[in-house]
Amino acid sequence: MGITIRQATINDIQAMQNANLHNLPENYQLKYYMYHILSWPQASFVATTYDTIDEDDVFDEEVENPKGDTAYINKGEKIVAYVLGKMEDDPDAEDKTPHGHITSLSVMRTYRRLGLAEKLMRQSLYAMCESFGAKYVSLHVRLSNRAALHLYRDSLSFENTSIEKSYYQDGEDAYAMKKVLELEELIPYKAQKSQENDDLTKSLLEDL
Amino acid sequence: EANIKKNSSHAESLALKGVLNHHLGHKAEAKPFITKAVSKEPGNYLVDHLAGIYFRTIDDYPEAAKWLKASIDNGSPNRAILRDLALLQSQIRDYKNLRDTRQAYLEFQPGYRANWTATAIAQHLNKDYNAAVNTLTKIEDIIKPHLTEADLYEQSECCLYKNYIVNEAGNYTKALELLEKDEKEITDRLSFLEYKAKYLVLLGQNEEASLIYRQLLQRNPDNVDYYTLLETALGTSSKPFEYRLKLYEKLARFYPRSDPPKFIPLTFLPSDHPSFEQKARDYVESQLKRGVPSTFVNIKPLYKNIEKLKVIEKIVLEFFKLQAPSLNPTVTVWSKYFLAQHYLYLNDLVKANDYIDSALDHSPTLVELYIVKARIIKHFGDYEKASQIMNEARELDLQDRFINSKTTKYLLRANKVNEAIDCISLFTKLDDDAVNGCKDLHLMQVNWVLIESAEAYTRIYHDYEKQLKDLSPEDSSEESLAAEQELKENIDIFKGLALKRYHAVIDNFKIFFDDQFDFHSYCMRRATPRDYIETLKWEDKLHSTPIYVRTIKGLSSVYWEIYEQQQKQKEMEASNEDKESSPAKSKKSNKNKKKKEKAQNIKRKAELISKVESTKEDPDPLGAKLLTDLVNNANGKILDLLLEYIKKLTTEADSYQITWELAFKLYKENSKYVLALQALKNLDRILKQGQPDKKFKVIAKSAIELLHAAENDPNSPAAIAKVVEKGLQGIFPELSEGKAKFEEIYA
Repeated sequence: MGITIRQATINDIQAMQNANLHNLPENYQLKYYMYHILSWPQASFVATTYDTIDEDDVFDEEVENPKGDTAYINKGEKIVAYVLGKMEDDPDAEDKTPHGHITSLSVMRTYRRLGLAEKLMRQSLYAMCESFGAKYVSLHVRLSNRAALHLYRDSLSFENTSIEKSYYQDGEDAYAMKKVLELEELIPYKAQKSQENDDLTKSLLEDL
Repeated sequence: EANIKKNSSHAESLALKGVLNHHLGHKAEAKPFITKAVSKEPGNYLVDHLAGIYFRTIDDYPEAAKWLKASIDNGSPNRAILRDLALLQSQIRDYKNLRDTRQAYLEFQPGYRANWTATAIAQHLNKDYNAAVNTLTKIEDIIKPHLTEADLYEQSECCLYKNYIVNEAGNYTKALELLEKDEKEITDRLSFLEYKAKYLVLLGQNEEASLIYRQLLQRNPDNVDYYTLLETALGTSSKPFEYRLKLYEKLARFYPRSDPPKFIPLTFLPSDHPSFEQKARDYVESQLKRGVPSTFVNIKPLYKNIEKLKVIEKIVLEFFKLQAPSLNPTVTVWSKYFLAQHYLYLNDLVKANDYIDSALDHSPTLVELYIVKARIIKHFGDYEKASQIMNEARELDLQDRFINSKTTKYLLRANKVNEAIDCISLFTKLDDDAVNGCKDLHLMQVNWVLIESAEAYTRIYHDYEKQLKDLSPEDSSEESLAAEQELKENIDIFKGLALKRYHAVIDNFKIFFDDQFDFHSYCMRRATPRDYIETLKWEDKLHSTPIYVRTIKGLSSVYWEIYEQQQKQKEMEASNEDKESSPAKSKKSNKNKKKKEKAQNIKRKAELISKVESTKEDPDPLGAKLLTDLVNNANGKILDLLLEYIKKLTTEADSYQITWELAFKLYKENSKYVLALQALKNLDRILKQGQPDKKFKVIAKSAIELLHAAENDPNSPAAIAKVVEKGLQGIFPELSEGKAKFEEIYA
């Protein structure tokens, strides 16, 4: 599809902010994205389009001008989904166990049904657990957001911990949810439940 | 205060008063005290320190750095100054001095690892890779026996940073060796594996590298880079298509839910290969059956190859006619949705429109369909109707901000700025007495709305200008004069607003640049040196961000319009000198009009202001001051202002065509012919990418213009014209055969 998932870098933050502003009502200034990348560089991921170079492609007539669209990081590279993750760093937090928190996650409407949100989440959870030793991860969801509830509860097996009254600016309540993290179970390929796995012993080219 | 009264030239007291004035809110009164103090006793380290503090608070980083450094050089015993100085030197990229400052501070406070990291960073920024690695190794050795659980992340990041430096120095053998030695310390396995695989490939150990890429795929089977790098390591990139296809079929079995192993074969299989059609069919059909909205955009990258486009068209048409009817009705809808986009891509708007209408007939509540419908109508040129269609979609799902954003954008394209802002305001924060979310859009740095607004305002005042031009000049009736007056006012208002919004984007980029300041110390404490270095690089190219370039393009066209009007006015004034009476007369009649309409105008303006204010109590809500400052500026100065912006593009966005087009125009007009020549050369280089022998008429035309300008400029020495001519001959050897011949070839 020409979509790839990778760790977010500082080069992505303007386009992440753009995706957030397009999709969600909770917005942040750019510095808050900088703060995430420069505090927990491993915890955030993006899904971007990429322009493939076709083997028998003729010369691309398009001139070297940037597409003046905030979604683009480079030519042909547009951020269509992101997850912004962090470790809990509030010194007043009750629970001192290292744990992660999902600050924000969104997918452009026109890129739904590709499983991007779930894939991004799995990357972030794995990284938080591995790089920061997160024991669990927490997040908030609007009570009315059924798609997100389905993702967290059914696909990623989060549990509801409580309801936070008027958590959002507009007065809506939030479910507080959490998931305990176990590194071995989190390795993303396992979620694919494939019949056949790469056991890393045989040469890949052996029987071709 | 008492001291100053006693001795009005006591420098330390003057400086202190300056700083105090600033903090007490007498901002304008602060600077003279500082200037006076440092001119009296520039060698007094206390005075220097106070001056540094003052300039730091007004964000004048170079001056602040200058005075803090002077304070140290003049013997201040206050070592904390070094820390503040380092931040400023980082901000202004004075890496040479930064290195000494960080080193001196480290000697003062060697007990903190952050200070070692900071010193290594300064050495690294000076490309002294050995020193940087030594500094990092030294502290590592000291600290290793004392590490606690809480230090493990820092330890991991510092090891990886050391590796990152050795990699940058190009010593991959050593980098690999260090990486393996530090393996146990590194908690960031992703970086570890990516670094290791890269070194192995560079060192020719492909077999081992391929194994690491396979591990990376297990961690993230959706990263396309790992597949291409795996192929590089396996050496399969140049193998027959069938062979490569088998490899990807195997990978697709390992990772059935990942896209790259299915999609990549479509890029390398030739369009006439039987497998291409089969694989493309599998790919597209499965997405259409699942109702994936992005099916078309997913496959579109292949359309650059026209033969592949034809195969895909055939596949989808067949699927639509033969299979879809027997499946769930939504499959037919998604197929029509695909075909509408397909024909839109081919610019067959009628066919595209037929497909989307038929899809909408079936599913009038599917938001996605309206988005494509609106886009088709936009391509027909009817922005108004397009925005109405988008709004219908929005009303189907008021909770969804994405469709709200699309509607906002389409309203802006239809020049309905107020409606657009009202629309997006459903998702912004509202201050108590605000009529819309305009202030929040500024606060939240919503650049896409700001630039779309600027462009809409520009179109609006251009419309008014056109109407003004169409007014009959003979008609001097009361009504006609009133109409003229109103048009002129509207032009000024919307031109001011356009400038205001363009500047709002520029201001946001200033904030983005200032945002890095805190991180010059934060990242060392937090131990994220690798990403800190990446941040510096990103900030150094900040003004190549596409939306910034687009802003400068828009802003400069307004500047040029004003400049050209000024030039015209100047000419007119010169020719009118003897018949002085006429302009005065028209002014007088204007004055009368103004008085009459005032009350009504004030009300209208106040209403507009409440809608467009960018901050609370915005001192220039309509950009009127921005506009008058520009218009009243002496001729030529407007181009100097523009130069500041263009310079940022030529240094940070030098790979864009538009950069050099803007630069050429400006330098030529500003009589900087050699710089104009350089700009033209860069433009030529960019246009020629991939077609080095092609000659461009537009370049030739500019070359002739430039040569004419340089030769006919009485204020420019003849030698300059010669340099320009010689330089142009480098691009066009034909020029040596004479200008006439040259023009003949390219005219």
